[in-house]
Amino acid sequence: MADVTIEWGHTFHLRVLDVGLACCAVEFAAAAARGADMAALGARPFAPEPREANVMVISGTVTDKLAPHVKRLYDEMPAGSYVMSFGSCANCGGPYWDSYSVTKGVDQMIPVDVYVPGCPPRPEALLGGLALLNDRIAADLRAAP
Amino acid sequence: MGHDVTLPERSRGVIALREESCTSCMVCARECPDWCIYIDSHKETEPATAEGARPRTRHVLDRFAIDYALCMYCGICIEVCPWDALFWSPEYDHPSTDVLGLTHERDTLGVWMRSVPSRPTQTG
Repeated sequence: MADVTIEWGHTFHLRVLDVGLACCAVEFAAAAARGADMAALGARPFAPEPREANVMVISGTVTDKLAPHVKRLYDEMPAGSYVMSFGSCANCGGPYWDSYSVTKGVDQMIPVDVYVPGCPPRPEALLGGLALLNDRIAADLRAAP
Repeated sequence: MGHDVTLPERSRGVIALREESCTSCMVCARECPDWCIYIDSHKETEPATAEGARPRTRHVLDRFAIDYALCMYCGICIEVCPWDALFWSPEYDHPSTDVLGLTHERDTLGVWMRSVPSRPTQTG
């Protein structure tokens, strides 16, 4: 029951932690600048710290050097938080899939709920991803006993 | 996905495939910097149509898929395609809850052809 309550609390109340690591972060910022569109999806960008967020958007290339810090940010977020992988690099390494130093997808460390394709994705694609996340949270709610 | 966005019709959202133009020549798959295009094909032999002619062999496409988790949207495949089988479509919005869901097979790539704009008018 507690889980259901938390899920209900998350529905259309997405506080987004931006983990901007490379050029995709610029597209994230462009999407965040359209505050009304984000607000229409119940999302608020730029959470000041991980424990005040419930969605983590990883936009950019995750290197093996940086990977432990991304994992730590996820661990600092409240239990039941969501993760969105934004752009090819975060999805599976993207153009750097053959590189010695790039993590081949952020889902190797942390569970990802929504993958947004693009290199970079359009700013509007972030809104599409948030909409899909909302659908998924709502579906989880309906499936709950 | 719940929000209306008006984009220029020639914006580069995703790559679409016109399957009937594809000859399985593999040029796109080989030129792709990411190797994110998967093509399978087999050969079929067509019997000779005229007396004295030889039977012809041609490739038949079995699979054409693009892994959009990997794709860097550079458009090189579209540039190099000798048969004009690949096109930019403005449909950017296809997120997935599973990374495998970002690999789109030829039926989806064919559906995206519907949003590809017609050829530009030649002027000047």
